Amino acid sequence: MIRLEQVTKAYGDTNAVNGLTFEVQEGEVCVLIGPSGCGKTTTLRMVNRLIEPTSGHIFVGERDIMSVTPEELRRGLGYAIQSVGLFPHLTVADNIMTVPKLLKWDRKRMADRVEELLTLVGLEPGEYSGKYPRQLSGGEAQRVGVARALAADPPVLLMDEPFGAVDPLNRERLQGEFARIQRSLRKTVIFVTHDVDEAIRLADRIALMRGGQLQQYATPEEILDHPANKFVHDFMGADRALKRLGRVRVSDAMRTDVPSLAGGRTPAALAERAACADTRFVYLTDTDGHLEGWFDCHAVAMGVSAADAVTLVDWWDDAVRPDTSLKEALSRMLGHGFRSIAVTDLTGHLLGDVAFSAVEAAMSDSDERMAAAHDARDGSDRPDPGGVRE
Amino acid sequence: MATESRPHGRIDRVAATGAVLALFGVAAFPFVVFRANRIVTGAPTALSAAGLAGVAFAAFAMAALAAAVVPYAWPALATRRPLALKIAAAGMFGSLAWAVGQAAVHLLAGASDIARVSIGGGAWLALVGAGVVEFAADAQLEGGWPRRVITVIALAAVAGAALLGGMQDLSIWREYLSQSSFFWLYVGQHLTLAGAGLFFGLLIGLPLAVAATRWRPVRDVTLAIVGVIQTVPSMALLGLLVIPLAAVGLPGIGSLPAIIALTLYSLLPIVRNTYIGLSEVDPAVVDAGRGMGMSSAELLWKVEAPLALPLAIEGVRAAAVLVIGIAAITAFVGAGGLGVFVLLGIGQVADDLVLLGAVPIVVLALLADNGLRALAARAVSPGLRGGGA
Repeated sequence: MIRLEQVTKAYGDTNAVNGLTFEVQEGEVCVLIGPSGCGKTTTLRMVNRLIEPTSGHIFVGERDIMSVTPEELRRGLGYAIQSVGLFPHLTVADNIMTVPKLLKWDRKRMADRVEELLTLVGLEPGEYSGKYPRQLSGGEAQRVGVARALAADPPVLLMDEPFGAVDPLNRERLQGEFARIQRSLRKTVIFVTHDVDEAIRLADRIALMRGGQLQQYATPEEILDHPANKFVHDFMGADRALKRLGRVRVSDAMRTDVPSLAGGRTPAALAERAACADTRFVYLTDTDGHLEGWFDCHAVAMGVSAADAVTLVDWWDDAVRPDTSLKEALSRMLGHGFRSIAVTDLTGHLLGDVAFSAVEAAMSDSDERMAAAHDARDGSDRPDPGGVRE
Repeated sequence: MATESRPHGRIDRVAATGAVLALFGVAAFPFVVFRANRIVTGAPTALSAAGLAGVAFAAFAMAALAAAVVPYAWPALATRRPLALKIAAAGMFGSLAWAVGQAAVHLLAGASDIARVSIGGGAWLALVGAGVVEFAADAQLEGGWPRRVITVIALAAVAGAALLGGMQDLSIWREYLSQSSFFWLYVGQHLTLAGAGLFFGLLIGLPLAVAATRWRPVRDVTLAIVGVIQTVPSMALLGLLVIPLAAVGLPGIGSLPAIIALTLYSLLPIVRNTYIGLSEVDPAVVDAGRGMGMSSAELLWKVEAPLALPLAIEGVRAAAVLVIGIAAITAFVGAGGLGVFVLLGIGQVADDLVLLGAVPIVVLALLADNGLRALAARAVSPGLRGGGA
């Protein structure tokens, strides 16, 4: 889908990018990663001709990008950047309509598209369409930036550290949402980042660069398991087993049939529930199923009063979402000192939980699958990109 | 929003200064000046000559002072202060117009036809003082109907006093009557000169500003030249223009050199502000626009220009006020305009003829200033206004 052939970009005597050759398959996410100055952003910007290559060829589809005008090329390639670059004088809706307007879509079609995209990125269209960028939080602005890049439904997305400027908690969520959107849209994506965890979580393939040259181009599993050289090994870090957990989603390891008590948190009801509980913890929800906390049955058995055995929590911070990576879930568990962590949807409905033991299982499971994938590798032209993903 | 930080319960220093200035002015300086004829040295006359109207003015000025100071003793009154100041200022304006007219009526009763009464230093200071009180009130008063109603009442009071209170006996009004056919001609000429200067300033300045953001050498040369022009005194510039105009066989006297000079002066604020506005556009915004496939022209019209608009309009506003002022000087090269009255008045040592030219120039400048502010408020995107969310 996107092919680079011997692409070089020279500034004076130095080559920012040197003889780069690789190919991104249709519907795959290729993450360009490397230390600052490695040429990853330059590479991305050459694909939409914001930077012109000094030599070499770049093909998008079967078309050499030099055969069309830069404007025509760019209108077919979605573009999202770290600083977002929303137009401050335009509303969210007008920002999203930028490329459709350049392509002269009719009004109705644009309005429908704005609504569809805002819903896709998790922003309520009625509330957000008319807002101006200065009224948005960093995370909201990034979502609008992604919606704008997707507006004209381009087959290709170019993203330059799109989640680099938001806080870690929001970044985690945005990554989860991006992964969810990508699973349904199947765009061909080139994604620049300097965050190894982000690369492992989102990439179908990682292109690790250094000094303008490609060090390794492979699936995250491959790159973690068989680094091509010492630089790759060091760059990816020592905690490789932990990093692999970034590839597994909570929904793949969670237990859904958790004991719970909906509404009516009277001492009598609690005591009755505690008596017949076969597990230690019972989740407490309101009558609509929103997580409110949990109840420690063992504590009651040991003589603590029913009221004192209740722990009330804030689902937003103290539970995870199905899209959350297992790595993040583990870090939350350790952070809070929990042996398991509740899973809710985006509105706080209790969906289940993930136990520490499930994380351990996923870790050894992924080791086995990786070994299996490694053994099978010689027989196929392309390693299984995600043994742990469906 | 700023309710907490407002100096409630403290002395309003600005308003107090304005009220004191007005009271001090009418106490220490002549309120009006009586002359036996147009050019002899006059006899200064105090506010008391205005009779009841003078008392009314003094009362409104003291009311303004009380409103500015009293909440110091009674903080509970502080929330009403802006409104009280606004009403006191309106009263000061109305009673001042009335008092000036009444003084003229009293002094001219029984005097000869060629006797004149001019506005004195005391009345001018009173006007400035009332303006300061008004400014202090406006700075604290939110928009809304009380503010508008009081403004309308003040304007009506001033107009009523001017029409009925005897202001037509003032020397400046007599000058107007004897010059009325020229007056409107000169107002028209003045607006034409200033308008032409501003128009050509925009026609040349805006493309120059855009070019300056695109090419560095253009920027360096342009900003240097428009900066230097501004340092040349207007009289000297008009004189210097004679030479190149004569060289190409064009008149160095009349409206042509005037319009050229006004165009040159309007360039600096227009070019500089537009250039700064364009160059301060967030590079990320430009990058996003280019990355989405906007051509250079689309980027300029749809992104850069709207973002630079607030500063650009600010530049046009400054240029408009500037050319309306400088257009007075162009009377020296025979371009006409209200400056003619100023020149004639100086020649004839007739202060009031000078004022007949100067006062309308100030009014025109204020109108242009307010008009362009109102335009800016409408034309600038709501997304660019105010602070955060």
